[in-house]
Amino acid sequence: MPLYGATLLNLSVGLAILALVVLVIYVKKGDYRLFLTGQRAALGVSFLILLASVTLVANLIKGNFDIDFVAQYTSSATPIVYKFAALWAGQSGSLLFWVLILSFYTTLVIFQNRVRHQQLMPYVMITLVAIMLFFLILVNFVSNPFKPVEVDFVIRDGLGLNPLLQNWAMAIHPPILYLGYVGFSVPFAFAVAALISRRLDALWIRTMRRWTLFTWLAMGCGIILGGYWAYNELGWGGYWAWDPVENASFMPWLTATAFIHSINIQKKKNMLRIWNMVLIIATFLLSIFGTFLTRSGVVSSVHSFTQSSIGPMLLGFFLFVLVVCIFLVLYRLKDLRSEIRMRSFLSRESGFLFNNVVFVGLCFAVLWGTLFPIVSEAIQGTQISVGIPFFNQIAIPIGLLLLFLTGVGPLLAWRRTSRESLIRNFSIPFLIGVVTFLVAFVLGIRSIYPLITLSLSFFVLCAIGLEFYRGVRVRIRKLGENVVLALTRIISKNRSRYGGYIVHVGVVLMFIGFAGKAFDVDHEWTMEVGDEVKLAEYTIILTNVREEERPNHHAWIASLLITQNEKTITQLYPEKRIYFHRNPDPNRRQPHSELDIYSTFKEDIYAVFGGFNTQKNLVSLKMMVNRLVRWIWVGGYLLLFGTVIALWPIKMKRGE
Amino acid sequence: MDVKKKFPIVIISIAFLLVLWVVLGFEGNELPYVTIQELKELKSSQPGKRFRLGGNIQEGSIVRDSHDQLDLTFVLEQGDESLRVTYHKIVPDMFKEGIEVIVEGYYVNGKFQADNIMTKCASRYQGDLREANT
Repeated sequence: MPLYGATLLNLSVGLAILALVVLVIYVKKGDYRLFLTGQRAALGVSFLILLASVTLVANLIKGNFDIDFVAQYTSSATPIVYKFAALWAGQSGSLLFWVLILSFYTTLVIFQNRVRHQQLMPYVMITLVAIMLFFLILVNFVSNPFKPVEVDFVIRDGLGLNPLLQNWAMAIHPPILYLGYVGFSVPFAFAVAALISRRLDALWIRTMRRWTLFTWLAMGCGIILGGYWAYNELGWGGYWAWDPVENASFMPWLTATAFIHSINIQKKKNMLRIWNMVLIIATFLLSIFGTFLTRSGVVSSVHSFTQSSIGPMLLGFFLFVLVVCIFLVLYRLKDLRSEIRMRSFLSRESGFLFNNVVFVGLCFAVLWGTLFPIVSEAIQGTQISVGIPFFNQIAIPIGLLLLFLTGVGPLLAWRRTSRESLIRNFSIPFLIGVVTFLVAFVLGIRSIYPLITLSLSFFVLCAIGLEFYRGVRVRIRKLGENVVLALTRIISKNRSRYGGYIVHVGVVLMFIGFAGKAFDVDHEWTMEVGDEVKLAEYTIILTNVREEERPNHHAWIASLLITQNEKTITQLYPEKRIYFHRNPDPNRRQPHSELDIYSTFKEDIYAVFGGFNTQKNLVSLKMMVNRLVRWIWVGGYLLLFGTVIALWPIKMKRGE
Repeated sequence: MDVKKKFPIVIISIAFLLVLWVVLGFEGNELPYVTIQELKELKSSQPGKRFRLGGNIQEGSIVRDSHDQLDLTFVLEQGDESLRVTYHKIVPDMFKEGIEVIVEGYYVNGKFQADNIMTKCASRYQGDLREANT
């Protein structure tokens, strides 16, 4: 079996090289048959990769422990869902998964553009196949998932997947994240193709925008899902730690966000073509750089994979692409150059530009903070990292600036906003913002960041609300529609714009959720049954601890009664589990805290069963009150919903 | 100066301010990743300075206080060097003797007062195929 999989991978390398050669010759000679051959070869490579992946998954599910990867990440006891998900559990499998997703995207791009973009497609395919070729080389020669196990005894069972990872969120987080990470290759390929062929017409913009928006969405959902999983499973009570691997995914998302905003200027005013090109290239480069950071072990991180020669190869690929792209952009600089026709600072163009500077600035700040340990080690010999305090300190004000722009931007007119227009659009939201500030202050909130966040949030919500209101009102007056119909129609007729507004509302809600952090409280205690402790406005009583023997683990379940002013709020049942508890070797037993959360829109009451002293019946308990966290997840849903609306295709009528 | 000329100046100024902002952020937030040997070469008390260390938990060195279960000491070892570490919080699930950890905290009177302990994210179960098959 491993022979088939490895052979398929070898064949795909050969076919990819063939595809590249044929397409390059086509570009020189122009014989259309070469184009078709190259296209079919590219599809063939994708098909081979699919077959290889299916082979690996089949081996995982069957439990063929002769393959090292299968033995490392599954066992006969692993549930079938996680045997399938084991495909992305380790280095080599996840690399194959990466190139599998890239092959799906390549196939989709080829089919979507059977007729369109004929001048661009050869270069698009060359780029995509070249990227696939690189990862295929990695998978074949550096980190091969079909590598046979190298031991001198008969393998009867594998190691199995760590129970900590056997969780639904852990199963879907990597695929969704990869849809983003890998997906950035597609707009990149179109950008490279446009640069080489000098075709930058309106249709290209539409294609670029849609692909970037989709991959941006996937990346965003992947990132939020990662935070959700960390918060709900890992027990440290947080959702974002500014860990290098987290930052690696955040940076390309930031430049992609800048792009989906600035592309509007290019669409409307045909400006900023060089800048947009640079943003797309930067996004792809950052995703490769992110892969490098994650897999090379260069920066210490709790997410680190093991080191291998993969680090230098990824870095080499990154540098190669960087050099090629710099060359390409400089080569076509004359064609790309457009006039910056800025009339006023109070214009939408200016707003978008400012937005871009801030997003790229934040990306740069995160990059510097992430790379600082490497740089300091090179210069001073010590790895000096800057932890969560640094990132929060610099990112929060930048984030608030972005929040402000979110409200202001859409209210500015193209070219120049008149004084009357400013007053008309801004007075009510501004007023609401000020009122929010005063109300919050009076209610006892004195910390400056939460005050500003809340004021800006309501400023933005009001501004967006007014946009919806005005749009609906016009339709009601002119077309006689009722409110619901008017609302549906206006969103449907301006999907980009109103979808974007919905996304912005989601972002505002997330900021409100972040602001809650300023009011979080937590504490840890050692308790006996019957003990009572207090946290913030709540009283917590440990009423009981019972034991339970389950199929693959042993559990202690603590019963906690949470009350406020004598009234019962809820009961929580955090657990301490031991997996592999029957193993005679105590070092092989795997403890795991299964936390319990009582979640409302106001706050989450979060309980972690830290440890249990069986001799003295002592419970180590950690309790947290995390304010407003739920708004982050609600905001995330709106982000998804809004982007889907913006992406929803409009049926083009003939003649339009 | 009309807008067209002012524009690049504004953009560059904002960019410059951002760089300044980031550089200022480093002040007071630096966390050196040191070895035990480097730490011992400094004065035995570094008030207010946070450090980060990696190493393994020495076998048999984990001691919990009998009255306060959260009170914990262990010995961190790196090759030949070792360092006493104290900690007063709930430990991560993977925490046990022999494993690799990263600790952050303060170096006081020759001992390390940790306020954060991190174990590696389990990308796979730590074990040996040979052991799994016996």
